[in-house]
Amino acid sequence: MSNKRMIAHARIALSAALLAVCAASSAAEKERPDFTGVWTTYREPGQTGFGGGFGRGQAQLPFTAEGQRRRDDYQKLLGPERANPAAYCVDYGMPTMMESAGGYPIELIQKPDQLTIIYEVEGEMRRVYIGERQLAPADRLPSRHGYSKGHWDGDVLVVETTDLLDGVDQSQHPHSDQATIVERFSLGTDAKGAKVISYEMALTDPIYYTEPVKTARKWAPLDGFIIPYRCVDEFWLALLDLRRAQLKAGKPADARMSDVYKAREAKE
Amino acid sequence: MKKLAVCGAALAALWASAAAAHHSAAPFDFQQRVTIEGVVKEFNVQNPHTYAVVTISDAKGTRDVEYEGHSASNFYRAGYRRDTVKPGDKIAILIAPRHDGGDGGFINAFTVNGKTVGFGGLSPSTGKPVADGASGDAAPPASK
Repeated sequence: MSNKRMIAHARIALSAALLAVCAASSAAEKERPDFTGVWTTYREPGQTGFGGGFGRGQAQLPFTAEGQRRRDDYQKLLGPERANPAAYCVDYGMPTMMESAGGYPIELIQKPDQLTIIYEVEGEMRRVYIGERQLAPADRLPSRHGYSKGHWDGDVLVVETTDLLDGVDQSQHPHSDQATIVERFSLGTDAKGAKVISYEMALTDPIYYTEPVKTARKWAPLDGFIIPYRCVDEFWLALLDLRRAQLKAGKPADARMSDVYKAREAKE
Repeated sequence: MKKLAVCGAALAALWASAAAAHHSAAPFDFQQRVTIEGVVKEFNVQNPHTYAVVTISDAKGTRDVEYEGHSASNFYRAGYRRDTVKPGDKIAILIAPRHDGGDGGFINAFTVNGKTVGFGGLSPSTGKPVADGASGDAAPPASK
C-alpha cells in the first residue's frame, strides 16, 4: 500500500472513531440537563427589583436559642458602618454566594463529573463533584464553601454540601460548622419558552435552627459576559502607590498593608 | 445643589434591599436622590466600590467632595468604559445623599460628555427611571 493510501485509510479510521466517540458523548449529554452558561436572577413578567431570595431578612428564621444568641452576638460586631465580609474582599461563602448577594451574574460550567459554579464577585468559585469519584470525608478541608457532592435524581441535580466552616457571617442564613445544605437544580422553560433554572435550597443545622430553612429561586440566561471582579487586587495596588509616594518623598518604601487599610478607612 | 423630588416606594424598597447587605449602605439615604454638578478631580472605578472626587461650587463655597459608587463590573455592565470620565470633565451625578446631610453620597447615575450611565435608578438628566436598555443588559441593578 502506498503511503498516500495508508494515510487515507488512517484518516478514515480515525474519523469513524471520532464520530463514534462524539455520538456516544452527545447521547450521554442528552440524558442530562446542561446548566452550562451565564445566568442572572429570573424575574417574573412585570416583576421589578430583585427576585429569588434576595432582600429577605432573618426575622422569620426558626432560630434555636443558641442560634439566636450567636446571631445577636455577631450583629454586635458589625459597628455603625455595618461591616460585612464583601466590603473586605472576602468570599461570600455558602449559602450567600448562591443568593446573588449584590445581584451579580453567576456562571455554571458542567461536565459529567463536575459542576463548577463561579460568582462574578471575586470570581468566587465552588465545585460540585458528581458521581463516584469523591474525596474521602476525612480528607476534606473545611471551607466557606464546604464540600459539595452531587447526584442525579432523574433530571434534577441534587447537591449536598457538608464540611463547612462556621458561617456566622452569612448575610441571610447564618449557620454553624455542623450545617448541611441540600440544593436541587432543575432546568425548564418559562411561559415564553426561555430557559430557566429552578433552584431549591434546604439548610439544616441543629445548632442554629429548629427545622430546615428552605428557599427557592430561579435564574434566567444572561445575554452577556461575566466581568472581571477582583477586589483584593486593589489593596496590593494601593500598597504599591503608598510605597511610590514614600520613595518620591525620599523615604524608605516600607508602607504596610495596615497603612492601606488606614487610608481606606479614613475615607469612609 | 438641586433636589429632585424622588421617593418612589418601589425604588426605595429595591434600594433598601440592595443596600442592606453592604458596608456602603449605612451612611447613605437611598430613599432620596439629589443631583450634584461639578468638575471631576478623580474618578477611580474600582472594587468593591468606586471612589470619585468632584469639585463642586454652591452657597457653601467651592470644595472637593468624595463620592462612592458601585463596583467596577457594575459600572461596565451599566455602560461605563475606561475613557468615559476624565479629570477635568464636567459631570452631573444623581446621588443618594448622606444621612447626616454632609457632603458626599452614593452614585446612582451620572451624565458626562453627553453620555448617561445609570444603575437601574434615575437619570440625572430627567429624574426618571433609567430604561432597562440603558443599563446595558438584563442584569438587575446591583450594589455591593
